[in-house]
Amino acid sequence: MASDHGRARRWRGVLTTPVGLTAAVLLVAVAVLTVLGPVLWGTSADAVDTRDVLATPSPEHWAGTDNLGRDILARTLVATRLSMVLAVCAITVAVAAGLLLGAAPYLLGGRAGRLVSAAVNVAVAFPGLLLALFFAVVFGVGATGAVMAVGLAGAPVFARLTQTLVAQVAGRDYVSAARVAGVGRLRILLRHVLPNIAEPLVVNATIGAGGALLAFSGLSFLGLGVQSPAYDWGRLLYDGISAIYVNPAAALAPGLAVLLAGLAFNLFGESVAKGFGVPVLVGAPELRSRGRAAAAAADAPTGTDGDPDEAADDVVLEVRDLEVVFPTATGTVRPVRGVSFDVRRGEAVGVVGESGSGKSLTALAVSRLVSEDGTVRAGRLRFLDQDLTAPDSPALRRMLGTSLAMVFQDPMTSFNPTRRIGRQLAEVATEHQGLGRAEALGRAVDRLDSVRIPDAGRRARQYPHEFSGGMRQRAMIGMGLMGTPSLVVADEPTTALDVTVQQQVLDLLAEIRAADDVALVLISHDVTVVAEVCDRVLVMYAGRIVEDVSAAGLATRAQHPYTRALVAAVPHMDTDLDQPLATIPGRPVDPAEVPAGCAYAARCPLADARCRAEDPPLVAAVDGSRVACWHAGEPLPDPVVRTAEDRTGLDALDADELVEAP
Amino acid sequence: MSELRFEDVTVRFGRTTAVDRVSLTVPVGTVVGLVGESGSGKSTLARAAVGLTEPESGAITLGGRPVPHRGARRPLQMVFQDPYSSLDPRMSIGDSIAEALPRDLDDVRGRRARRDEVARLLELVHLDPHRARDLPARLSGGQRQRVALARALAGRPEVVIADEITSALDVSIQGAVLNLVRELQAELGLSMLFISHNLAVVRYVASRVAVMQGGRIVEEGPTAQVLGAPEHDYTRELLAAAPGRKPS
Repeated sequence: MASDHGRARRWRGVLTTPVGLTAAVLLVAVAVLTVLGPVLWGTSADAVDTRDVLATPSPEHWAGTDNLGRDILARTLVATRLSMVLAVCAITVAVAAGLLLGAAPYLLGGRAGRLVSAAVNVAVAFPGLLLALFFAVVFGVGATGAVMAVGLAGAPVFARLTQTLVAQVAGRDYVSAARVAGVGRLRILLRHVLPNIAEPLVVNATIGAGGALLAFSGLSFLGLGVQSPAYDWGRLLYDGISAIYVNPAAALAPGLAVLLAGLAFNLFGESVAKGFGVPVLVGAPELRSRGRAAAAAADAPTGTDGDPDEAADDVVLEVRDLEVVFPTATGTVRPVRGVSFDVRRGEAVGVVGESGSGKSLTALAVSRLVSEDGTVRAGRLRFLDQDLTAPDSPALRRMLGTSLAMVFQDPMTSFNPTRRIGRQLAEVATEHQGLGRAEALGRAVDRLDSVRIPDAGRRARQYPHEFSGGMRQRAMIGMGLMGTPSLVVADEPTTALDVTVQQQVLDLLAEIRAADDVALVLISHDVTVVAEVCDRVLVMYAGRIVEDVSAAGLATRAQHPYTRALVAAVPHMDTDLDQPLATIPGRPVDPAEVPAGCAYAARCPLADARCRAEDPPLVAAVDGSRVACWHAGEPLPDPVVRTAEDRTGLDALDADELVEAP
Repeated sequence: MSELRFEDVTVRFGRTTAVDRVSLTVPVGTVVGLVGESGSGKSTLARAAVGLTEPESGAITLGGRPVPHRGARRPLQMVFQDPYSSLDPRMSIGDSIAEALPRDLDDVRGRRARRDEVARLLELVHLDPHRARDLPARLSGGQRQRVALARALAGRPEVVIADEITSALDVSIQGAVLNLVRELQAELGLSMLFISHNLAVVRYVASRVAVMQGGRIVEEGPTAQVLGAPEHDYTRELLAAAPGRKPS
């Protein structure tokens, strides 16, 4: 159902683009003509009138008549059926032959498979029309021969496409799983592979049909296709061209028909491909510029979230009522719904939550990296006393470039693979600090050295792929250190890394913090990592902060049932082996369908009627922690979560020690 | 039930040796944890066992006989890491499970017997049998991973290989999958090779642990012994790096 819905939306998306709509209308017109053309105009198309041969356009004959006095417009309309039928037959032959050849390497495997793919690769290199002419000679002159010719000439391209698509799907885990389950190759091909490559194949076949139509008309025009007395557009064009100086319309009418029908297929295929390949955002509300949107929001009274008091002097980052909104087909979604927090100089704040909780978007909003179609609004969003909701300016860019460092999850994609590491680091300095090339490169080497990349001078001249994952991540941090950052925002910096490497990266971040009093915002799904590295933890659920608690208190003093469940759900090296792990029933909230009341209510063992009706505000307690729950701190029913109490001893100790460790 | 044995198994890709003369036994009714970092050869060893990769030398046997990689009966099953790519997005979860059922299910009552068996398996992994006709897109990651487990169990395997089955899941869901693994093991007496990079997870489900580094097994033994009193330096390094127990 969900996917049906999605498909309907995509089709709507395709049809609401001007090109898609035009193409669809044209295509429907061609289809109607194919069915009704011969029925409506069949007799007038064949009516011979020897008194009126080779006539020029007139009210009776809009496109004139041919050498037997037959109406050319009627004949063009009638020819739609044959032209279409032949084109569709040809493309069917092409797709069928292409599928067979393309799937053969997968079915045969080994040497025979390689041989087939090599043959296909060679065949692709020949121009299609040349192949068509060759086959036309082989199969003889006539409609059947031409269908085979055009079809087989198109086959290599489809074979190649199928081969690539099959290879892609065959590498997926579900195909491996089916193989392990003992399913044969042919069954896998029919049940798993073909259904999953059908979409791109159909789209390409549609575009191919336009090509086949053109090729077919070409063959008929050359006299190799349809023979008299049958006629298609190519044949009419052939007849009309001889009289072009007497009656240009005789050639133009079928020519125009070929053009329109070909365009219809091509454009329709293209817009479907576009609509299904790239998510189409329909009914997007008019996007206001970020600056204005933010200003508007700033006028509104703030304070739905338990505000920490007016910002103290040492606050590096101040976030109030941050919202991120994305347009969708049905309206808008708000993956981040009113987030407020401060980060002080040198403080490490962790943000945890499940996927979809809005934690990464919060980080992106702070770094002004939310993609173009998203709107960021905030009551206040200030970094080092600069308004981050202000419109883009060189000064702001320079400030962010030197004072804010961002570390992403995947260090492979955060570097440009075609440029040397050293140059990419140096760019920060030449761009924002006005250093010369040599000077900047020197600083880059120095920074790489400071993030403990051995032999930094040589390494700086290497490309990203020559670095290991952990080293790339350190180089990324090094890039952040090219300026003098006051804040490092790290989004799952160690998720892609091995545990021992993870430890090195975390140690490095801790060192940087200690050395220069740099603040850190660490986003992670791993509660254990966050508790180890950070001073304070923000727990996010469905786009809101539900709890703000000291890292030391995470295991023992957490109040929110979600936080407590999260902590208890993760096995650690001292977990009681005789007890089942705590689990959280249900699934995370879809940002498009946030329920009324507390978003966590559906999964919460403490939820009552009030929770389902009223969203609890984030309330600050005396010790500075904040929690958004109507039942904060109430004991949880046993089997769901047994947390703090029975584990207090060890964890509390560990956590306290951690905070004191530098 | 029979024992899965790797004897002197070597797997090479071109010039790199991914698995280097590994010998390992998964005794009947036990869960053996296999830990190590990416590139240490854990997954390659698993893929060699189920026939997705060809070992260069050595033998992989099940109850003394080579593991069958052809034919409908596959006594060795595998659950993959990413539940978002291990289920065919166009196939209902019931069909995905039914596909792995042994073909010899009574042909006369065929369809019905298969449907009942799918329902039984879904219940076994705590999913509502009425959801058999749902497409994977309607399931959460944890639910998908449970379907993948049900599919592996459908083939009535003697040993199941679980390759990082919780590492793509949110922590809130990971717990449920781990509980299920322990429950199935206790109920069905399942033998399992449980591959993970997370020591705490392995500690929770496995009774024996093997530590792999650079294609070799450097340490193997009962979980409490290996994790409690590690002998190899690398095991100690791994333990020290496990988050949440940083020595100050």
